[in-house]
Amino acid sequence: MLEHYLPRASSFAGDIDQLVWIIAWIVGVWFVVVEVMFFWLMFRFRKKPGVPARYITGKEKHLKNWINIPHNIILVLDVLLIVAAIRVWVLIKQTMPPADHTVKVMAQQWAWTFTDPGPDGKIDTPDDVRTTDEMHVEVNKTYHFVLESMDVAHSFFIPAFRLKQDADPGRAYTGWFKPTKTGTFDISCAEICGIAHGVMGAKLVVETTQEHTAWMQAHAADAATADAGASAPTDSTTAQPASQ
Amino acid sequence: MLQRAYAGLIAAAVISAFLASCSATPKTGIAHGEELFQNCKPCHGEAGHGNLELRTPAIAGLPDWYIIEQVTKFKGDLRGANPDDMEGHRMRPLARTLYHPGDIENVAAYVSKMPSQWMPPTFTKGDTAAGSVTFNGVCITCHMADGKGNKDLHSPPIAQQSDWYLVAQLNKFHRGWRGYSPEDVYGGQMRAMALTLADSTAMHNVIAYVKTLPH
Repeated sequence: MLEHYLPRASSFAGDIDQLVWIIAWIVGVWFVVVEVMFFWLMFRFRKKPGVPARYITGKEKHLKNWINIPHNIILVLDVLLIVAAIRVWVLIKQTMPPADHTVKVMAQQWAWTFTDPGPDGKIDTPDDVRTTDEMHVEVNKTYHFVLESMDVAHSFFIPAFRLKQDADPGRAYTGWFKPTKTGTFDISCAEICGIAHGVMGAKLVVETTQEHTAWMQAHAADAATADAGASAPTDSTTAQPASQ
Repeated sequence: MLQRAYAGLIAAAVISAFLASCSATPKTGIAHGEELFQNCKPCHGEAGHGNLELRTPAIAGLPDWYIIEQVTKFKGDLRGANPDDMEGHRMRPLARTLYHPGDIENVAAYVSKMPSQWMPPTFTKGDTAAGSVTFNGVCITCHMADGKGNKDLHSPPIAQQSDWYLVAQLNKFHRGWRGYSPEDVYGGQMRAMALTLADSTAMHNVIAYVKTLPH
């Protein structure tokens, strides 16, 4: 049902959804059972004329079972949840399948900058393709991403991938994803990062091999042209005043 | 009895608040612009005089046509979309928040009416004599002899602006971080002019001269 509202576009999106469902069912069913019991008990032992209220200590075994049995059931369900969560954690966070490509993601107030290694497959070379607020990836390829923040805490969130990773300045986070569905999906920031946090969005374009190759060639040519034309002065762009 | 009185009071308060919110008339024009300016304050300051630490320029008193042009460029990715333009990345999404018809015009009208302030020089380097030659040979054509700009040429006033901001913008034009889009005609013109400056020293010289213009 989740997929009906939010497409699953990565290899591990189904695992995340399954975990969400397990949690939702266990907690949901338990919530309903507890609330039904709660209100039934209130009704059953409501104030009645001629019946004095009495304090129940709960020492008797048949009364104590009202606590013990649910308690033990909750413990068993907790173990089930922990096992399910660890399984997904190991699959997504502790396992890094070999990468077909590596991309760099830089977060800053309030934009995303993506660096694709370009045709040579190496980052920080002249043919890198750098884009702002638009990320292009190839379907059915495993990507490693190196996520950094330039200023404050951000969170790289791709709902269709079921991927969310915090980014803090001074640290490079490595993760992975494998797109399984072509199309255009949302990227957003999931960590309050300032006044324009709410509009710090970007576009993820998952393409076929042919589409991605065409995009890459067009933009790698642009990158080479821009590089050749770069004749910037030596000062930093922000031009710190000498007296500061 | 007392409980009923409390419940009545709370119900009256809720209903009054709801009716008050329904009857509030949306502000228009400069009044609306003043409301929108609340989003500009965190970076550009209460008085719109900019903030060096955040690399935000002084905007108070800038002509409304220039503010409209620039905000529209930010909104349309004609400015601030270069991956290296860190300051532009901050302004661009905020420009996108002005999405109702009239928002940009209203906030521009308000900002243009704010008292302008001449920003004193912060750089110690810069040869004003050499800068004068550049200014009177290149910049004067559009920004005029007094540095007050020219609406017909879409050139903004620069005499009052912070020197660090002006040098930073020259750098951005030079690197192609601003004026990069073929659709940004006037930005492209400025980029061509910035490319006539050989190096950082030439930029500091011309801006040092700009700060000597009468204000």
